[in-house]
Amino acid sequence: MLAKSVIEDVLTAALATGGDFSEVFLEDRYTNNLTLQGGKIENSLSGRDFGIGIRVFKGLQSVYTYTTDGSKEGLLKAARNAAHAISGETIIHPEPLKKEIITCAHPIAINPRETEKTRKVNVMKKAYEIAKNYHSSIQQVLVRYLDEEQNVLIANSEGKFIEDKRVRSRLAIQSIASDGKQMQPGFYGPGAHKGFEFFENLNLEHYANEASRIAVTMLGADPCPSGKFPVIIDNEFGGVIFHEACGHGLEATSVAKNNSVFANRIGEKVASDVVTYIDDGTIANEWGSITIDDEGEKARKNVLIENGILKGYLIDKFNSRRMGMESTGSGRRQSYRFAPTSRMTNTYIAEGKSTPEEIISNTEHGIYTKYMGGGSVNPATGDYNFAVMEAYLVKDGKIGKPLKGATLVGNGAETLQLVDMVGNNLGHGAGMCGSLSGSIPVNVGQPMIRVSEMTVGGSKEGE
Amino acid sequence: MNIQEFQQKLFGMGEKQGFTDMELYFEREEKFKCGLFKGEIDSYETSEIAGGSFRGLFNGKMGYAFTEKLDEDSVLYLVENAKENAQLIEEEIQEEIFGGSEEYQAGSFYSTELAKVTVPKKIELLKEIEKHIYAYDKRVTGTNYFILESAESERYISNNKGLSLDEKQNYIGMFISVVVKQGDETKTGAYVKATKDFSSFVPKEIAKYAVEEALSKLNAKTAESKYYPVLLRNDAAGDLFQTFSEIFSAENAQKGRSLLKGKEGETIAASALQMVDDPFLEDGLLSRSFDSEGFATMKKAIVKDGKLVTLLHNRKTAGIAGIESTGNAYKGSYKGSLTVSPSNLYVVPSKKSLEELTASVDEGILITDLAGLHSGADTVSGDFSLAANGFFVKDGKVQNTVKQMTIAGNFFELLKNIEAIGSDLEFSMSNVGSPSLLIKELAVTVE
Repeated sequence: MLAKSVIEDVLTAALATGGDFSEVFLEDRYTNNLTLQGGKIENSLSGRDFGIGIRVFKGLQSVYTYTTDGSKEGLLKAARNAAHAISGETIIHPEPLKKEIITCAHPIAINPRETEKTRKVNVMKKAYEIAKNYHSSIQQVLVRYLDEEQNVLIANSEGKFIEDKRVRSRLAIQSIASDGKQMQPGFYGPGAHKGFEFFENLNLEHYANEASRIAVTMLGADPCPSGKFPVIIDNEFGGVIFHEACGHGLEATSVAKNNSVFANRIGEKVASDVVTYIDDGTIANEWGSITIDDEGEKARKNVLIENGILKGYLIDKFNSRRMGMESTGSGRRQSYRFAPTSRMTNTYIAEGKSTPEEIISNTEHGIYTKYMGGGSVNPATGDYNFAVMEAYLVKDGKIGKPLKGATLVGNGAETLQLVDMVGNNLGHGAGMCGSLSGSIPVNVGQPMIRVSEMTVGGSKEGE
Repeated sequence: MNIQEFQQKLFGMGEKQGFTDMELYFEREEKFKCGLFKGEIDSYETSEIAGGSFRGLFNGKMGYAFTEKLDEDSVLYLVENAKENAQLIEEEIQEEIFGGSEEYQAGSFYSTELAKVTVPKKIELLKEIEKHIYAYDKRVTGTNYFILESAESERYISNNKGLSLDEKQNYIGMFISVVVKQGDETKTGAYVKATKDFSSFVPKEIAKYAVEEALSKLNAKTAESKYYPVLLRNDAAGDLFQTFSEIFSAENAQKGRSLLKGKEGETIAASALQMVDDPFLEDGLLSRSFDSEGFATMKKAIVKDGKLVTLLHNRKTAGIAGIESTGNAYKGSYKGSLTVSPSNLYVVPSKKSLEELTASVDEGILITDLAGLHSGADTVSGDFSLAANGFFVKDGKVQNTVKQMTIAGNFFELLKNIEAIGSDLEFSMSNVGSPSLLIKELAVTVE
């Protein structure tokens, strides 16, 4: 994608003013985005992102510059711009580049760029038909299709020179049910680090029906009561709660500057005994999986919390300097427009011993959340919030009537201590995670869990 | 390849492949971003990016493709992909390539004074603010983020129907989040602002604002969960209106995604509510003299005395409605397709200060910030349930800060339940702004 000699010149120019590390990240990405509304293709967008990011460190100073100008002159100018932010004499020269050949840990069978778009449209229409025909109250179905091929080249002054191809595919189905007075949405958005084979093997019946089932169920739901309840959170995308409540607080981005409630607490008990929390970028072909991170480090399985004890953080190259700890292969970024920082990949709570039936039958009065919407967290305070897409009242150990409009709020550090049951039905769900280095694909996951007390915000006064 | 040469090759190839009307939308942006942590520059970023979007009619259907690389490969890529995309489109009513408005009102969106501010001056400002932040109170332990950002951008539209428009703009923005600790409590306070006037950043005042914001959240107490009158401070009100600004889009209305469909001329809000869309605001983030399809923009009333005056239109939605475009065609960037967005949309301020509004509340909650807006608000139904921070108000006075809360309600009902409007219009870092608003009641749940 770029000649070795040009890269070496750029790495050298970036170190001209006393930097101690320089890096080049080149990206050439092809994307397709299609939208089907009311059974008709409404939008089809294709594009090519191309750009280069150059990074220089000097101690705890980090400089980043990026450009869409891929000419040698353009890159050298960008490198000089970066170097300009540092003042001093050259202290090191880049090591000679040694090309590392890697095998993709997430093999692709059918490249989406070479797949005719009419085949993509067929998948969307099939999903539409299933979702639309689920029930007469389904008023609208929106199907979005996404595929992308991201080619990256990463080289740095330590001699690293590595290339990677990441291919991802995702289908998002949104159904809206209406009874003439109100409208309720339902959503499912499966994705994978796979090519077009992902869509061919996808259980469309399941996902499209679920999206509509959620919408129809919520149409008949009562407003959620507010107050403090035991909350049962089901598997797959339910894991978004720990993504917000805990995952972000374990990223070096907030730990390195002591802004996280988890900073300086390795070896301490931060969660109840039943909680083991893992970030694993190596799971084959999962949506959040990577072969190498965006700093060229191999993906790893990082155990963050084991039986309640804090074991580690997610660390990128720059923050590893401030923390005096090794990088964990967690340096990720949305594109060349972002300097990488510590981010999650596929993060999940490990399986426990309870069956889902046991968890529900052991709950006298509480809320069961089957599907979660999105959420957010303030990593400094640990305060999080998220929306519940599908919820039910639990009474006398049985799942009761559906509830709508629930929001869960709480504090991550406190919630971790209150997990009292962990199920044996681990599942993962695909999502997009936004933070300092942009929006990136991640999986969240967990088996069914129960939190002994959470604050539920609803529109109905407490019971 | 330069842009003119690229366009020539692109349109040449497009014509050969059967495109009739063609357009190139091009953007260029230069950005500077710098972060400080305890006296040291810990992030420093510069960038120069450019990209183009090709849009063209093929057999009467509009096809799109974009690229960030202006080379021969991309000419072929754009034409081939736009053609394949056009052939997939099934919607009958199509966009058109626009020949241009008769007149374009001049606007001032680029400050030459701002462009002269040097990088050392910007860094000096950050250091000065930081000094004041740490000096202000010993409970300040750090900053969650502390970033200055400045950008200059240029938009360019050219098509084979004779349109050729070009506009530049710039701004400088500040994002600060201060962390304070007291015992077991950790709280953050933010200051966010975008402007064209560098001298409007006064270090001592900014530091005071952000630290006071954080300190005021300490000693949080619980409160009864129930329905309260709610005073939304200007920034929280602005965030809520930003989230629900999509309801004013005629595109959403025509697709059945906005309950304001067909409500023009009807009362949709309290009679005190006035809303304006003004593309010529000097500090406005979406100020522009032509919209993303080259139509001349204009200032207009959206809500007058509580009645909906008009929805926001581009040429396609206006055509369907049988009216003129309101100049609100919008592309997020060259990567997107044409849609509808407000330029700078705001609630017109009234005369009462926040203190005066507070004084009128016997018992209620003052909300100072909202979270979870991307997940806890449904723009179709108007229902929202959001995480919130704020204060308990009793007998017209602000009391203690309240533990994390959620507020729940429906935006369409909220519009009708606006009881008073403040004088303190603020945009913070958004194209949608509002003064503080007093709402009759919302469901409040306290952690």
